[in-house]
Amino acid sequence: MNKAILSVLGQDRPGIVAAISKILFQQNCNIENVSQTSLQSEFAGIFIVAMPIELPLETLRVCLIDALQRFDMHVQIKPLQPQDSGFSTADIEPFVITTKGPDRKGLVAGIAEVIASHGVNITNLKAVFKGGEEPGDNIMIYEVDVPNHVDQKILDQELRERAKELTLEISIQHRDIFEAINRI
Amino acid sequence: MLTDREILSTLEMLENENLDVRTVTLGINLLDCASHDLNKLKKKIRTRITHFAENLVPICEKIGQKYGIPVVNKRIAVSPIAVVGAALSSSQLVDVAKTLDAAAEQVAVDFIGGFSALVEKGTARGDRALIEAIPHALQATERVCASVNVASTRAGINMDAVLLLGKAIKQAAELTADKDGLACAKLCVFANIPQDIPFMAGAYLGIGEADAVINVGVSGPGVVKKAIDRALEANPDLDLGQISELIKKTAYKVTRVGELIGREVAENLKIRFGVVDLSLAPTPHVGDSVGEIFQSLGLLSIGVPGTTAALALLNDAVKKGGAFASSRVGGLSGAFIPVSEDLNISEAVRKGYIGLEKLEAITSVCSVGLDMVAIPGDTSEETIAAIIADEMAISVINNKTTATRLIPVPGKKAGDFAYFGGLLGQSTIIPLNNASGENRFIRHGGIIPAPIHSLTN
Repeated sequence: MNKAILSVLGQDRPGIVAAISKILFQQNCNIENVSQTSLQSEFAGIFIVAMPIELPLETLRVCLIDALQRFDMHVQIKPLQPQDSGFSTADIEPFVITTKGPDRKGLVAGIAEVIASHGVNITNLKAVFKGGEEPGDNIMIYEVDVPNHVDQKILDQELRERAKELTLEISIQHRDIFEAINRI
Repeated sequence: MLTDREILSTLEMLENENLDVRTVTLGINLLDCASHDLNKLKKKIRTRITHFAENLVPICEKIGQKYGIPVVNKRIAVSPIAVVGAALSSSQLVDVAKTLDAAAEQVAVDFIGGFSALVEKGTARGDRALIEAIPHALQATERVCASVNVASTRAGINMDAVLLLGKAIKQAAELTADKDGLACAKLCVFANIPQDIPFMAGAYLGIGEADAVINVGVSGPGVVKKAIDRALEANPDLDLGQISELIKKTAYKVTRVGELIGREVAENLKIRFGVVDLSLAPTPHVGDSVGEIFQSLGLLSIGVPGTTAALALLNDAVKKGGAFASSRVGGLSGAFIPVSEDLNISEAVRKGYIGLEKLEAITSVCSVGLDMVAIPGDTSEETIAAIIADEMAISVINNKTTATRLIPVPGKKAGDFAYFGGLLGQSTIIPLNNASGENRFIRHGGIIPAPIHSLTN
């Protein structure tokens, strides 16, 4: 079996997942992972699928584009490469970085730059900017994996300095505290 | 993946509702430091404490920072000094207190508890020496806390010890008259004292405990109050069963924080984790008050009719939620009502909503007792002993813990203001009614026998 990663983007409406999964089933593909979300009115879905060896990737791509034409979706499919990024999920500690503060351009770029400069991987990012000066209306939540070799004190300090420059309130906490408080 | 709501509600508890870990308390066993040679004993105690507690403060701070939860106090509790120093005289025991103080200062902890005696069934020579040493020990030290267990459900009430304590409290107040009798704020008189309290002034390491143990005291009255306020704003028609359920869930969350941090501190120090004390412990800050919870529940103030029922509901719900959240709970575990340490309760005293009698009544359903109660400076030692005896009786008969921390403020009378500072707070001095004249009952001394456990009417 070959593996492929499929991403689908477009305006959200009922029937998108049904249409995609029907084609995958007809082509004898097995869905291994799906993540789907909608952001405001936009649909985004990522599928990792195992394909029969005899099925060319291009054939599957054409089938999917045909099936999703009526939805006007953007479809991308490519072979899934074995992990070679050098980033390992072993020896990491999961942290949550949360910011609140007045909306302005460059907030995500400013914080993400510091995170990236330490080789820290963002595993989940949610940001809501309703605009205006009310801090609670403009929130970023980064779930990140901090490799154990990263000096957390320096990361902490640099994030706090950057947040101050961006007039943001920032919290940096190990993920376990949220699990402990909210989940049984 | 965490939900936004989980993250934001947790941050709200930390930033605006005063959620913290009130204390991480390291229990250290000193029993094998015992010696009739004072210098040897002091040296052993100092070495033992500094060995175990050397990294307590930096580790608590590191872990507090990791989770974004402040560990407000770092403390030490030791074996009862009346046992460790049983061979010593009263003045030698004052010297031991100074050694404890110096060791506590060296490892930068806030308080060290365990200048204690267990005399519920009788007072041994060493116990008597320790009780007599308490006033000078508390005057001469900054961080040392003392406690004496004078009663238990199994043994009854040692009235001779109660009278000795009345005298010690009076003397401790007079020795610290310039600070409104501050020494008394570091002395608790107990019935049914638990062996693993992490809170001061009652913390000591029980005789049945291991070499070292980490106990944690959580807090969170502000979190409970805000949870009630939010729920009632969304639905003003909630009944008390639903409110109790809400308090349980909130206590669960608060306790989980203590459990997580306590276990990690213990792991880092390579010391066994003991218990989480699931108490709602207030501080003299706005939004961190147990008294405010009564108002959120719909009472005009703590002290008005309905207070005992409300406190019973609160205390029970806290215990239920906390017990589910932690694998090992202990200590006092319930709602504290320390008058001077809680802005709202202190204000209720000033306005006359609550007096000593109602305070005593509600201690029958709370987890502590007459705590941080400032009384007139001219109160006699007999009257102090009599108030203690009443409180002990509530504990002994109802098979629960209670304690007193009474401060007869020298030179001040009912209605005057006493200031203790820091977390000990400030309070209007509470009037004592019908307390003049001789009290021959207390002078009889002896033991009030342990109660019968059938015929429970």
